[in-house]
Amino acid sequence: MMALTANRLIDGEVVFWSAGRWVEHFGQAELFEAEDRAGDAEARAKTETTVVISPYLIAVAAAEDGYAPVSYRERLRALGPTNTPHHGKQAEGGHDADVIARALGAARSGGRIDLIKRK
Amino acid sequence: MYQYDAIDRAFLTDRVEEFRHQVARRLAGEITEDQFKPLRLMNGLYLQLHAYMLRIAIPYGTLSAVQLRQLAHIARTYDKGYGHFTTRTNLQFHWIKLRDAGDILADLAKVDLHAIQTSGNCIRNVTADPRAGATAEEVDDPRVWAEVIRQWSTLHPEFSFLPRKFKIAVTASAKDRTAARTHDIGLALRRGRDGDLGFEVMVGGGLGRTPYIGKTIREHLPVSRLLSYLEAVLRVYNRHGRRDNIYKARIKILVAQLGAEAFAREVEDEWAKLDPARVDLPDLELARIRAFFAPPNFDVLPAVSEAFEAAKARDTGFARFARHNVHPHKARGYAIVDVSLKAPGQTPGDASAEQMDLIADLAERYSLGEVRVTLEQNLVLPHVKLDDLPAVYAALATQGLASANIELVSDIIACPGLDYCALANARSINIAQDIALRFADPAKAEAIGELKIKISGCINACGHHHVGHIGILGVDKKGEEFYQLTLGGSGAEDAEVGKMLGPALPAGRVAEAIDELVEVYLRERRDGERFLDTYRRTGLEPFKEAVYATAH
Repeated sequence: MMALTANRLIDGEVVFWSAGRWVEHFGQAELFEAEDRAGDAEARAKTETTVVISPYLIAVAAAEDGYAPVSYRERLRALGPTNTPHHGKQAEGGHDADVIARALGAARSGGRIDLIKRK
Repeated sequence: MYQYDAIDRAFLTDRVEEFRHQVARRLAGEITEDQFKPLRLMNGLYLQLHAYMLRIAIPYGTLSAVQLRQLAHIARTYDKGYGHFTTRTNLQFHWIKLRDAGDILADLAKVDLHAIQTSGNCIRNVTADPRAGATAEEVDDPRVWAEVIRQWSTLHPEFSFLPRKFKIAVTASAKDRTAARTHDIGLALRRGRDGDLGFEVMVGGGLGRTPYIGKTIREHLPVSRLLSYLEAVLRVYNRHGRRDNIYKARIKILVAQLGAEAFAREVEDEWAKLDPARVDLPDLELARIRAFFAPPNFDVLPAVSEAFEAAKARDTGFARFARHNVHPHKARGYAIVDVSLKAPGQTPGDASAEQMDLIADLAERYSLGEVRVTLEQNLVLPHVKLDDLPAVYAALATQGLASANIELVSDIIACPGLDYCALANARSINIAQDIALRFADPAKAEAIGELKIKISGCINACGHHHVGHIGILGVDKKGEEFYQLTLGGSGAEDAEVGKMLGPALPAGRVAEAIDELVEVYLRERRDGERFLDTYRRTGLEPFKEAVYATAH
C-alpha cells in the first residue's frame, strides 16, 4: 500500500495527497492499493510545482487499529520531532497520530518507493 | 565587535529585496524549484523534514546583546519560540516558512546579521576562539583576523563556486577551542623567536565520511601576508580539487592524495606569483579593523572578590558552577562565564526566546554587551566581574541555564539528527538526552571529570563524533537506528580521530554502554588522568571488553 507525500512550497509543511488535494494529516491521506493509480496521482502531483516540492510515494502498512508509514523517517515526518512532542502534527494528538506513534519496526530509512529508479 | 558601514547596510538591504523578488517569482511559477534551490541556499534557507530551516551566520561566534535579542524576536515571531546553536557557532531556526523568509532576513539586517554563505560551495562563516579578547592565553585577538578573512571571503567572486564547502578557524591560544585541525584551513597565531606574530597554517583537516587531521604546511606565516597566502591555498584547491565526485571534493582529499609537502609546494609556487600589493591587507585597513576589537575599558579591580569567595563558601551549587563554568580573564577582577545549553534532558544547543532574552539582558548588564557562541553549542559571557558572578548565576538559574557541566559528561554535542535533518540516518538528540540524564547527578559528573561526548546522526559528522573522547555515530541498520561508538578522538590541540570500539549498538544500549566505558575509566585511571589520557595509556581493549564481553 502507498501514500503520496511532499512538503508544501509556501511553508514547508508535510502534506499528503487525498483525491486531488493536499491534506496535512496522514490519517486523511489517500491510500493506494494499485501501482498504476498511485503513479497517476504522483504524475499529477508533480505538475503542481507552485504548490508542493518534490512529491514522492511512500510505503504504508497496516498497523494496530489503522495504517502507518513503513519507514521510521516517514513516521517522524507524519508526527513531528521526538524531542518536542508539543511541536508538529503530533501536538494535536488524536487516533491517527496514536496509531503512527505506536507503529513499530522500520523499513529503509528513506521509505520511498522507486528511489533507485527515480535517480 | 565588527561594525557595518553604509555600504554594508545598503548591500544587505538590496540582498533582502532581491531574495523577496526571487521568492515571489518562485511562488508565481516563473522559476522552478531546481532554479530556486541554489538561490535560497545562498541565503541559508534549507528544506528539512518538517519545514524550512534558516541558518544564520554568527561571525566567529560573536554576538551583541542587541543581536541576541533580535534572534529571540525572530524565534518568537516566525518560529516556535526557540533556536538551535550549531557546532559552527551559527544559529538555526527549524520551523521557518518560505513566505516569512524575506521578513526574517530584513529583521536580521536591522542588526547587521545575515544568512549569506551558510550554505553552498563557498567559504563559510569563519570561526574563532570564543574566549577571544578575554583570555590571557592569547598572543593576539583572533577576531581581528577572523574579521579580515570574513571581509575578504564574503562574496569573493573567485571562491564562490569551489569544488565543495570551505571552513576556516582561527585561534590564538595554545589551548585550541576551535578544533582548528579539523578545518579545511586552521590558523593558529603564534609568536616567532623574534617576537613577530605569525600563523601556523594547517590545511586539509575535516570530518565527515573520510576524517583527516589537518597538516601544517607553514609554521610561521607573517600575519601581513595572510590574505595572499589564503588566496594561494584556495587557488590550488580550486584548480585541482575534484568536482567529479562530491565525496572526494573537499580539500582534505586533495591534500591527502598529493601529500602535505607537495601541496605546500604548489601553494608556495602560486603564492610567489601573487602580487602582495593587490591582495594583502594594507596596514591602514588592518588598523581600522583592529579598532573594532579595541579592548574595552575594564574597571581596575582587586584580584580577589570577597562577594565571590563568600558565595562559593555559602552555596555548593555555585561553587561547582565556579569550578566548571567560570574561567580566568585577562583583566584582574573579571571572569569568563560559560553558559551551558546542556541541562540534562534538554536538546543540546537549543535556547528558547526567553533564555536568549535573559542572556542578552545579562550581557548588557554584566558583560559589556557581549555574548559568544562556542562550537560545543554553549554560550559565553566573556567579561563578567567576579563581584557579579553570584547575581549572574542566580539569574541564569531562573531559566534553567546554570548547569555546572562545561566539558563534563553531560556537556554533549549533538546534531539535530533524524528528528529534523533530511540527511540523517538516525536520531542524535534522544541519545544525548539519555546519556545526560544517566549522569545528571552533578557530583557524579564532576567525579568523572573532563569527558567529551559527541553525537552525529549521519556520516556527515555535524556532531563531530570523530573527535569526541567518546564519539557516537547514528547508522541505519536495516531500517533501525543503531549507534557506532568510537573512542579516543580529540578536536583540541592534541587532535586525533577516534577508533571504532566494535559493532554498532541499538539505541536502548547506548547510555548503558557509556556507563560501562566510564566504569572502566574510573577503575583504570591514575592520578590526574582524564578519560582520554587513560584510554591513550590502556588502549581500546579494556573498554571493548566491558561493552561487548557481557551478553546483552
